[in-house]
Amino acid sequence: MEIQSMKELIEACESEQKTIGEIMLMMEAEKSGRNKETIISMMEERLIKMKEAVDNGKKDTSAAPSGISGGDAVKMSEYERSGKSLTGDYISNAMTFSLATSESNARMGVIVATPTAGAAGILPGVLFSLHKNDGTFYKDLVMGLFTASMLGYVIANRSFISGAAGGCQAEVGSATAMAAGTIVELKGGTPKQVVHATAIAMKSLLGLVCDPVAGLVEVPCIKRNVIGTSIAFAAADLALAGVESRIPCDEVIEAMYKIGKEMPRTLRETALGGLAMTETGKRVKEELFCRKT
Amino acid sequence: MEFQSCFDIIGPIMVGPSSSHTAGVVSIGRFIHELLGGCPKEANIIFYDSFAQTYQGHGTDKALLGGLLGMDTDDPRIKYALELAYGQGLDYTLNFEDNCAHFEHPNTTIVTARRGENVVKVGGASLGGGLSKVFIIDGKTVDIRLSTGEDLSVIAKKYPQYRMRKVLMGDV
Ligand code: SF4
Repeated sequence: MEIQSMKELIEACESEQKTIGEIMLMMEAEKSGRNKETIISMMEERLIKMKEAVDNGKKDTSAAPSGISGGDAVKMSEYERSGKSLTGDYISNAMTFSLATSESNARMGVIVATPTAGAAGILPGVLFSLHKNDGTFYKDLVMGLFTASMLGYVIANRSFISGAAGGCQAEVGSATAMAAGTIVELKGGTPKQVVHATAIAMKSLLGLVCDPVAGLVEVPCIKRNVIGTSIAFAAADLALAGVESRIPCDEVIEAMYKIGKEMPRTLRETALGGLAMTETGKRVKEELFCRKT
Repeated sequence: MEFQSCFDIIGPIMVGPSSSHTAGVVSIGRFIHELLGGCPKEANIIFYDSFAQTYQGHGTDKALLGGLLGMDTDDPRIKYALELAYGQGLDYTLNFEDNCAHFEHPNTTIVTARRGENVVKVGGASLGGGLSKVFIIDGKTVDIRLSTGEDLSVIAKKYPQYRMRKVLMGDV
């Protein structure tokens, strides 16, 4: 079995009467020759590492080696516990978890790339928020990781998932799209609804450039992860309400690819454009590299 | 179809901050380590394009050295790879160029490494999400996928012709 498009994916789900996550598991077993139990336990290991990154990051007030990030997860966590958050529990918890993960990443801590390290905060953010707010079991979160990887697999093979190749739309955009679809599947949506959520989330991030200050995966990366979780929940809500993406998901992915191809090199992880080249961005870079030499 | 497994998308388990500029590069270094059958004594590293622009921020140099020293993507010692390389007597030089003539990708490196009398020159690209590809070894075009969750020593064993090669550094 091989899935090359979202269209094929929906057809496979319908003919096999399986969820997207189950199709991924089936395909992985077929391709790798490993049995399903082994594959599931490998995925469990990844979920556990994600949880550890969240737990470590949530209470760590230290700054990253660069000095330009760190400590915001603690602030967000305190604010959210004060009950004053405007976005509600699902999103504000996801924001805290996502900050925690991305800050751990900047400290060169252990994280799980989902699909990349730069975008590693989004999926754990939404998954552990679902767990906290509606008690989604860990074993279901593991299945959610199969859903997410199936969606990411199609995106990665039809387009790209790295900022250097296709800009931040490929990184935070793909991760947000994967997370949106995963929420829908975990909340009992149909494969079609999952794919609509994926398309809606990706559309809202098309064209996003990769412009990390001083080339560090911190500014704007960490907060883009945080906002990504809220886009994922919003797109999931739309799809669960029955709203559809006018442009089919495969075409959205193709658009992402073409936009990435046209993006100048300065806006693809070279730190030569966008926010990296603002006055402050340049100053941060100078200060950092002076300190090092 | 470069991505073949769910673990190419969810994973690797890795030390930050970048899957393409850190984790994928650890794998390229580790593959060279396995080809040579151990840690090289000398390495000449060329970083191209995006690697050349942002290696400091992403710890790309630490990642490559960590791999050459035999570390995996989730090894917390990668942070200290520069010091550890020094401690292990790995002598390296770092060079920067705009574009690689052999492979079109912004995240590309070519490493010439020596261990004893064995020398290999390996070109690798990090494709994103921790997945890498070796595209050239000693001037020969190859296509070797380095995916996390796979044992790189097993992959390297498939290329014994390069493991046994004994030449002088100047020949490659
Ligand atoms: S700005 Fe670039 S480095 Fe930062 S998250 Fe986006 S793609 Fe990754």
